[in-house]
Amino acid sequence: MMQENEIMSDATMDIEDKRSSARISGEFVTVVMIFGLTIAMILASRAISPAFGSWSQAETILYLGSFLVFCAFGQGLVILVRGLDLSIASVITLGGVLTASLMNGSNEGLFYLVPAILGACVLVGTISGIGVAYFRIPPFIMTMAVGLIVYSLCLGFTQGTPRGYPAPFLSGFMQAKFLSIPAPIYLLLVFVIIGTVLQSYSAFGRKLNAVGNNPLAAYIAGLPSGLLIVSAYAVSALCAGFTGMMLAGYANGATLRMGDSYLLPSIAAVVVGGSSILGGQGNFVGTVGGALLLTTLATILTALGFEQGWKTIMEGGVILIALIALRDESFAFLREQFRKRG
Amino acid sequence: MASIEITSPHRPRTLPSLRQIAESAFPIIAIYFLMWVVYGLVEPSALSLYSIEALFNNSLPLMLAAAGATFVILQGGFDLSVAGVISLANVVVAVMPMEGPLGGVANLAMVVAIGLLVGAVNGFVVAYLRIQAIAATLATMIMCKGAALLILKAPGGFVSDFMAYELTASFFGIVPIAGVIAVAIMLFWAVFRSTNTGRSLIAVGQDENAAALSGIDVARTRFTSFLWAGAFYGAAGYMLAAQTSTGNPNGGDPFLLLSFAAVALGGTAFGGGRGGVTASLFGAATLMLMQKVLFAVGVSSFYTGVVQGAIMILAVLFSAFVLAVTRQRKSR
Repeated sequence: MMQENEIMSDATMDIEDKRSSARISGEFVTVVMIFGLTIAMILASRAISPAFGSWSQAETILYLGSFLVFCAFGQGLVILVRGLDLSIASVITLGGVLTASLMNGSNEGLFYLVPAILGACVLVGTISGIGVAYFRIPPFIMTMAVGLIVYSLCLGFTQGTPRGYPAPFLSGFMQAKFLSIPAPIYLLLVFVIIGTVLQSYSAFGRKLNAVGNNPLAAYIAGLPSGLLIVSAYAVSALCAGFTGMMLAGYANGATLRMGDSYLLPSIAAVVVGGSSILGGQGNFVGTVGGALLLTTLATILTALGFEQGWKTIMEGGVILIALIALRDESFAFLREQFRKRG
Repeated sequence: MASIEITSPHRPRTLPSLRQIAESAFPIIAIYFLMWVVYGLVEPSALSLYSIEALFNNSLPLMLAAAGATFVILQGGFDLSVAGVISLANVVVAVMPMEGPLGGVANLAMVVAIGLLVGAVNGFVVAYLRIQAIAATLATMIMCKGAALLILKAPGGFVSDFMAYELTASFFGIVPIAGVIAVAIMLFWAVFRSTNTGRSLIAVGQDENAAALSGIDVARTRFTSFLWAGAFYGAAGYMLAAQTSTGNPNGGDPFLLLSFAAVALGGTAFGGGRGGVTASLFGAATLMLMQKVLFAVGVSSFYTGVVQGAIMILAVLFSAFVLAVTRQRKSR
């Protein structure tokens, strides 16, 4: 069987050789490249320290990277509809602060507090979405302003120092292990599957793609563009609030700056993952790869003893390189090269 | 249409139309002075020379940052590198203080050069490689922040006495130098906007294709706008160092949001083609003055952000509203 398959694939390869160049989609190449690079980096990091390159390191990266994956999903949806969500940092903080102060270290009321907290975050996202979709305010102005307002409200609500603890159930879950694998990694897996289906295979996702690809065509086709754009922002805020809740569970408390380190990486993960910053193109699997790549890079740079400054410079450099490499012209060039060889 | 208004050299002198007034810097100037009246009434001590000087010094870095951002926004772009360049310029001045007026000039030249360099990178990537401005400048902003952290890990360093004391003082004890600098920039803009570079900036912002067809080098205009922006950001970081007498690798962070808020408040349209540097300068001054007024009327400093965010949204809405109303009048 195996042999047969191999022969078969060899044969088809030969036949379709000339066309294979034309079939390389930019998205697919990016996804494969990013995951390949991430795995190669984890394996290569064995050279730095024997503790690296192991399964436990991969586990750590998945664990730490999951927060970025959660909020990058929402960011990806907003970018898909030609927007940008700069309120993510504040909404993460909102989710975290509310989780710590309302749950106040008890499991009581968990079943209504979780929907209430996430609902508050969705409300924030809906406001941003309405401003963008119906009042035509530039997305990054609207989300920046809403982010500022939300942060300022968090500041006032906590009087500068967030208090309280998340429910023991939540912090327990973040530390729990199931079959000797941390429970949050299962959550990540479920999230990635749901996210991928939602963005690329559901009717909702296809409509978002249509609006991002060509808003006018989507409008003529009768899609409720405004509503779809609002829902993208609402989902983004939901994901950010969820990230904040998980972070509060992880750190067993909240701080006012807990969201800051996720805003720029969330955009970076989407862009590195092959989505066009112009909207209308991209998939969640690429974003997940981008998030894991950035997390791996950060972990390795820390282990190598690089200063924060260098880490920041490289973070920016990765975004810039990804932007330049992922231009349509670059892919056209790549295809051309393949064609010549074929 | 609108482009004719700007490019026609001999316009018959008539009273300005409602639209021209609404689109000029006039509304924000009126708001600014109105706010001074309110401030003076709530807190009479605010009108002393000392507090006016302090307010001007406080406002100048934001005014410079907003002025720089305006160049890019006028041609239809966005520049997020403002936060990075200000932080970088701020720490560079703080680790290499040079004494005396000549040292001050040398310091200024250094940070303006840094701003120009970052602006050149932004301009090249955006104008020639055609990468979206928000994404590209986001990357350069992060890199500048990293460079600032490398130069100075934590807030510290010190600036020369010349910058800390003389630049923040007043000429003859009555004219704040910060105010003089602001007026100088307004005069500069008044001249610049009618030069070829200035006109092409606004033309590209209004209609890129029309501008290209009428012989404007669109890519070069874009590139130049980022250069001007970078130079102003560098100067903003310089004045921030003079005002705070110290370096802070994160000092530029608040400017990201506030400079866009200032530009929006000044009535410059996001998307380009409408507005000006003078309006942005007053927008920035109004934002800073508003903080004082809010504090004076007893709003907790925790909630300043709520007002700033709301004003930012309202300013953009108001600007769009004016445009819609005046367009309707015209079509009638």
